[in-house]
Amino acid sequence: MTRRISWTLLLAVAMSFTQCKDAGDDVQIDDENELITSVTLKFTEEGTTNTTSFSYKDADGDGGNAPTRFDTIALKPNKTYTLAIELLDESKTPASNITEEVAEESDEHLFVYTPTPSTLLTYTYGDKDINNYVIGLTGKAVTTAVGTGKLRVQLRHQPESKNGTPSPGSDDVSLEFTLKVQ
Amino acid sequence: MNRIVFSFLIVITSFTARAQTTDCACFVKGVVKDQHTGQPIVGATVLIVGQNSGVFTDENGRYELRNLCPGAYTLECRIIGYNPFREKLDLTAGHEENFNLLEQEVHLKDVEITAHRTDAPSSQPLSTISGSDLEKTRGQNLAESLKGFTGVTSLQTGSSISKPVIHGLHSNRILIMNNGVRQEGQQWGSEHAPEIDPFIATRLSVVKGAAGVRYGSDAIGGVILVEPEELPFDKSLSGELNAVGFTNGRQGVLSGTLQGGIKGFKGFGWRAQGTMKRGGNIRTPGYFLDNTGISEKNFSLAAGYRNKGLGIDVFYSRFDTKIGIFSGSHIGSVTDLLNVIENGEPFVKSGFSYDIARPNQNVSHELMKAETHYHFQNGNRFQWTIARQLNDRNEFDLHRPRNDSIAALNHPELTFKLTTLTNDVIWDHKPIAGKLAGQLGISTLYQYNLMDGRPLIPNFNQFNIGFFWMERYVKNGWELEAGVRYDYRTLTSFRIVNREKVSQDFKFSNFSGTLGATRNFSERFSARLNFGTAWRAPNVSELFSDGVHHGAAAFEKGDATLQPEKALNTIASLKYASPRFTAELGGYYNMISDFIYLKPQPEPILTVRGAFPYFKYTQTDATFKGIDLSASWEIVKYTTVSSKLSYLRVYDQRNDNYLVMIPSNRIDNQIKYELPEDAKWHKAYFSIGNLFVAQQKRVPPASDFLAPPKAYSLWNVQAGSTFNLSEKQQLEVGIAVQNLFNVAYRDYLNRFRYYADDMGRNISLRLKWKFGA
Repeated sequence: MTRRISWTLLLAVAMSFTQCKDAGDDVQIDDENELITSVTLKFTEEGTTNTTSFSYKDADGDGGNAPTRFDTIALKPNKTYTLAIELLDESKTPASNITEEVAEESDEHLFVYTPTPSTLLTYTYGDKDINNYVIGLTGKAVTTAVGTGKLRVQLRHQPESKNGTPSPGSDDVSLEFTLKVQ
Repeated sequence: MNRIVFSFLIVITSFTARAQTTDCACFVKGVVKDQHTGQPIVGATVLIVGQNSGVFTDENGRYELRNLCPGAYTLECRIIGYNPFREKLDLTAGHEENFNLLEQEVHLKDVEITAHRTDAPSSQPLSTISGSDLEKTRGQNLAESLKGFTGVTSLQTGSSISKPVIHGLHSNRILIMNNGVRQEGQQWGSEHAPEIDPFIATRLSVVKGAAGVRYGSDAIGGVILVEPEELPFDKSLSGELNAVGFTNGRQGVLSGTLQGGIKGFKGFGWRAQGTMKRGGNIRTPGYFLDNTGISEKNFSLAAGYRNKGLGIDVFYSRFDTKIGIFSGSHIGSVTDLLNVIENGEPFVKSGFSYDIARPNQNVSHELMKAETHYHFQNGNRFQWTIARQLNDRNEFDLHRPRNDSIAALNHPELTFKLTTLTNDVIWDHKPIAGKLAGQLGISTLYQYNLMDGRPLIPNFNQFNIGFFWMERYVKNGWELEAGVRYDYRTLTSFRIVNREKVSQDFKFSNFSGTLGATRNFSERFSARLNFGTAWRAPNVSELFSDGVHHGAAAFEKGDATLQPEKALNTIASLKYASPRFTAELGGYYNMISDFIYLKPQPEPILTVRGAFPYFKYTQTDATFKGIDLSASWEIVKYTTVSSKLSYLRVYDQRNDNYLVMIPSNRIDNQIKYELPEDAKWHKAYFSIGNLFVAQQKRVPPASDFLAPPKAYSLWNVQAGSTFNLSEKQQLEVGIAVQNLFNVAYRDYLNRFRYYADDMGRNISLRLKWKFGA
């Protein structure tokens, strides 16, 4: 009897200590994570090579430190601009270019540019994916009269549901820049 | 002889006056019954000590000894598996002597282990479902199976994930004891359901109120006990097969159990059990919910050995599930959320499918347990339980990584691996003066968590040691109880901050106590009162959360300075039980100081995905008070009306406001008609019921994107019967319709209430085939 007990106890003790491990040894910096830490809008005035860039930057991603940069977009009235967008993950070294990845999976992504008031700017898409739906990596922005408002920039992630409208999917980017046409 | 159990032995003796007989014409007769079940015992020996005469009981447990001369006799009744019982008689004429046998020490002890587990503290209300009531819940998950208890509701994430809520408290404030081991999973998440297959259990119990002394930290709201049947030592092969089908989600569940002893090896018993579940998209009254399928595979193996006072049990179980998360709930911003709310139904439309696509979670839970106990001849008892649990949770986001080479790896976006080792040593001291019984215990827990993927909670090591001592005194219808416990816990977290490893140490320690009284006024009427305390150390998510919670559209931030929660719980109940009427009224007042909750911040937080409402984990003093009422009345023969009512009010004392996410008040009424017993039909019944859930009106203003959903009323019908196919085979059939009128409703405690309605009509058919002893 006592032998049996001691045998069980031994087994139990063995079980309890062989598995001990320190969670501290296993902390890894995760590089597979994809963040978007900076969004840059590049406006190139038509007929010129004048490019002006406006950015949002939050190098450590959500939380942590507050965004370091959130520019006001300043454009001239009655001009036509080519608008290109660049997304970067600068939390990594070297920074990874998310724009390229969006371009590769353009059939799942849609950029939406919404000015308020809507008279401030007119956006026309300049690209299409394999299903003939617009993307918005590049396009045209036409300004009219002088005014101040907002330009909302959204990246809609729509895996297997992209239908040309903004509704399906979820926001990967949703930023409201202040827009000044002056 | 170990007589740990108190005053169990009730021998009903009745003298029947008969005409004076001469010579040797005296006789003794009676019935031998099992003391617990009241069932007659067939084949027991009744003999006269010192003489060579004896008889066996017949199929009704009856015996009769005739032609005895007047005089003093000692009668002994015995059968294997029960304690022999002796009674002295002074015969002058005919005499009736009924025996109520108690299961033998070994068996009795096992019953008693569970009694300790389910009983402690005995002055707290304990509700149990087993047998046919439990059968009716077969095929549902654990939390759903528990919803029949008054005061117990569920916190849901859609219809496939739910976790139990007791008196408004859930997650880490509820302790689940799975087969005697505290279930350790990633319980902090609202979409993390307990990884337990309810088919393992033949009994589910709920201890309401703080039970920190016996069960240790976290048992602030209550304890759920999931208990399997005692292993079939030295019994022949038996088993059962359960098949359940649900129309909604076209879900099928198959579960089987096989068990028995081992021929030629005395004292052995074993059991193997397995469950498979497969379900597809759930349908609300108006539409299907895309990607809400479930697939589950579980099994368990158990073996044990009993010899005299020694018992050894080993248990292994594995729970494996893959759950689709309704894709319409995965949103990236508040605008997305507001759009869905405005739309009134999900944007994502789908038909029926069994496919489980992203987002989904794959969770497996493994439990290994070894338990050994020994009963000493003098009445002391020792028990040691050691267990290892491995909880492996993988969460896949809706979005694959954009980078194709990473996407091709198909790694989960979040992985948690939680390993837990627990040791529990309990010493039951022998009863002092037959009135004072108690136990002392030491519990240790060592735990480490490894995570990978999107930073959410850090890695950590945790160690806990607790000591407790409880005593119970029984006399003259009074049962008094007192206990004390001390716990010490260390927690070390490891995080990456700015690409550097940062580690932080936390130490928590606490006393808890319990004081209770039970008064049995009569066999029918009793009252209980208990004061209990419990505590809970802040968990890692509360300490370190820092990010957007997908689906909740909220930015949650932890606070590393949080202090443990401490609960003082007062719970009182009155119980009346007669054969035709039973009622239980309970009231509770639970004061939790430093209650941890998410407090909305005045300014939203700006992220690349837009501005999010900002919530910080903070502490307050909260009070939970409520009433549980349940009653059942057989108004006419075969027809029973039963009613259950839960009323709960929760208040944030420091901020003078209500708290969010508190279950609303509800009343559940049933009327049941039981058919008279028949040779073929057993326990045949038909019932119709209604559940009314009120609207939760006590919420802090502007605490939510959407006002709590309206009140709802759901009807259900059920019918069932048991057929005896042969002497050793039984078939149990049940049919039920939930949400009979296909009502569209939303529940305040369903996290998906923003996106979609709850489940529509669901018809289920249940078959259980049982064979062997």
